[in-house]
Amino acid sequence: MVHNIVTTLGLAFFLFGLFVFFTAVLGLFHFDYVLNRMHAAAVGDALGIFCILIGLILFHGWSLSAAKTLLILVFLWLTSPVASHLIAEMEIWTISDIHSECREERR
Amino acid sequence: MEQVKHVVLMAGAVVLVLLLFAALVRAVLGPRFTDRIIAINVVNTIVVAIITLLSVYLEEDFLVDVALVYALLSFLTVVVLSRMVTFRQKRRKLKSGERSERHGT
Repeated sequence: MVHNIVTTLGLAFFLFGLFVFFTAVLGLFHFDYVLNRMHAAAVGDALGIFCILIGLILFHGWSLSAAKTLLILVFLWLTSPVASHLIAEMEIWTISDIHSECREERR
Repeated sequence: MEQVKHVVLMAGAVVLVLLLFAALVRAVLGPRFTDRIIAINVVNTIVVAIITLLSVYLEEDFLVDVALVYALLSFLTVVVLSRMVTFRQKRRKLKSGERSERHGT
């Protein structure tokens, strides 16, 4: 009984994670500038991998593999913002005219 | 229930591979190199998800370790690449700034 409930919960997490990854890749195609695309990619990096790995942890059950999967999740959550920051810094340094891409909002 | 789980895992792996190919197409199409790096970052995240999924599907524990090392390597790639490009670009801009100042005086 408990096993069935855990498996159903894992399936729900896994399917939602697939949906979030689909949204991330769709956003990667939809947006037209690097800093906007980074936003779409960060959705998949944070929420998508979270939902899929939580679902897989529930499939693993109470074992060492589940702990290692949790370690992967923590590592990805710690490093994905750092990677995004570095990529954004590289973009700002290498583009010739940033103000033509990012307009300031005037009120 | 086990049957359903296996079918969903297999279908999920197929969907993830399709998304991986879509992100790879984005990496080929991307007009700037930062677009490509972002797309490759997404590809790496999807590959980590696929390897962890395989460890559940095949019930092999060592694949989780492989996924962990893959996550480490993908982070290292982005860090090394972006630090290298940023430092070179900063140095170039500083040099050209000095030169223009010298011309100005």
